[in-house]
Amino acid sequence: MIQRPLLLITAMAVILGILTAGCGESRDPYVGTYRSLQPYAGKGHIELTLKENGEATWKLEGEKPVKFKWKVAEGHLWLYTREGGIIHVTPSEGNKKLSVDMTGEWNPSCPAHMCLYFERVEVR
Amino acid sequence: MTGLEEKTQGLKIEEVGRELRVPSGTRVVKQGDPPHHFYVIVSGKLKVYRETHDGIRTDLTELGPGDYFGEVALVTGMARTASVEAVEDSVLIQVSKEEFDAVLDQNPQLARKLIHTLATWLVDGDRRLEQETVHQVKLRQISWFDYLLMVGLSVILALVFNLYNDNSIPLVHGWGEKDGVQEISPDQALELYRQQKAVFVDARKNNFYDQRHIKGAENLPLLFFDLQFPMFQFILQQKQVGPDTPIIVYGGSSSRRFDRELARRLMEKDFSRVLVLAGNPDGWEKIFPVETRPGKAVAAMPLGLPGYIEWIPVSIFLLFLLPPVRRSPYLSAFCRVVLGVIFVQFALSKIMRPAVFALNVVDYGLMPEWGVNLWSLILPWAELVSGLFLVLGIRTRAAATIIGAMNLIFIVGLVNAIFLELPINCGCVGEAGEPVTWWKVLKNAGMLLMAVQIFLYDRLFVLDRGGFIWRERKI
Repeated sequence: MIQRPLLLITAMAVILGILTAGCGESRDPYVGTYRSLQPYAGKGHIELTLKENGEATWKLEGEKPVKFKWKVAEGHLWLYTREGGIIHVTPSEGNKKLSVDMTGEWNPSCPAHMCLYFERVEVR
Repeated sequence: MTGLEEKTQGLKIEEVGRELRVPSGTRVVKQGDPPHHFYVIVSGKLKVYRETHDGIRTDLTELGPGDYFGEVALVTGMARTASVEAVEDSVLIQVSKEEFDAVLDQNPQLARKLIHTLATWLVDGDRRLEQETVHQVKLRQISWFDYLLMVGLSVILALVFNLYNDNSIPLVHGWGEKDGVQEISPDQALELYRQQKAVFVDARKNNFYDQRHIKGAENLPLLFFDLQFPMFQFILQQKQVGPDTPIIVYGGSSSRRFDRELARRLMEKDFSRVLVLAGNPDGWEKIFPVETRPGKAVAAMPLGLPGYIEWIPVSIFLLFLLPPVRRSPYLSAFCRVVLGVIFVQFALSKIMRPAVFALNVVDYGLMPEWGVNLWSLILPWAELVSGLFLVLGIRTRAAATIIGAMNLIFIVGLVNAIFLELPINCGCVGEAGEPVTWWKVLKNAGMLLMAVQIFLYDRLFVLDRGGFIWRERKI
């Protein structure tokens, strides 16, 4: 006979373990500031800053910065908007370049008409 | 006088029996075999057990020096009622049926003793049967409390977690917010459209827009408003749209009014004439000329381990074709682990970011707006709680019922999405890249079958009323 309190403690430990295990891969290789290769919306370049704590900012010249959360999964970056939208980002060339898929859906390769390219300008 | 001497006094064992040495693990008597011998244990240890046709084994007792067995079948003339196996190397006296009958004829004291023993066994057997029946009845019982426990636990965990989650969402989306957005009737909007005196903006996700939209409308998905608004502004400048030109927003649904929210955001950006298309959210499809681009399905992302586990519920159909297997409590235990793991996976993909899952719920278009966030908060915890209960063997019938009900809901949602050709992400075990297909329906049907199997036949490794039941238990 297994004691119920023991089983409940085990169950709680399993829940906590599961929740802490779901934090994703290390962000360290991708932390830094990236700049769009092309000007956006006729205004200027976008600066994308990925911080270690999982926060990110998207700053278009002349506009207010937009905040995100981000994570790494299977070598891809996932940016989460406040409303729950997901932007999929694919790093390349040793994480020096990023392809940002603006469709909001996952695609095997970034669609040319909805893809923004970034280059790393600062490593943290 | 030792027990052995006392018990074998009248038997005249040295005259009628023969010594038999059995190594450990030997089955001396097999349940169901015809009776030929009676045995007295000289040394060693043997266990008596019964086994059902589907392999459930119940240990009845253990016997040692001085004990005897095999008399029941000899007396009744029926097949062996239990099996006896040597637990350690043992020495027995083997007495044939003829010898046993002769000894009984000559030894009334022994005959009385046997009758007494058999009668005691009958009374004990009745008592054990009653206890087991009561236990099984309790095991099969499910009460409202079980459901209340699981649902209540899920609700409490969901609400508490949402309080402390960095990605928390309001319990009801847009509750109490006044948007102050003006509406325009479809007829008036159509008139402006014909005169090209308004800009039409689709507030839905890009893949919905791609599939079907009002001809000439711009797409500004609410979800990416902050990112894509500069581009929208740029496009308006390129088109030389004046500041007084009406902007007519459409693309809401009964699950979320993307149109009204987008209109409000545009008004905050100082657009003076923002209007929302009134009427049925899908009504524009019948009134305005539309551009369609069918056939673009959501691309599938490799799911890794969860993708492989998906095969199990589907292959379970094959197992259910075999009657002895589909009723097996071992299959129940297997189904519990598989289903439990799958539902825990489901839960983990949603719990941390309820806003993402809420958008998946919105995409299905079956949930009223007030229920989307509540469902998105509570469902993952219900999946986690019921999944863990299944794995741990707690209230498994109730957990299987809840999981079966969720599978039914998922199947309805998936089939509806397939028939309506909605370009949406399943939201099953991944946040993205999981298209809605018949494969997913089949998988959910497999899981539903597994839940039914657990409900009907689960009885092993279960912590329930009356304690934890293992495979081999002593009664």
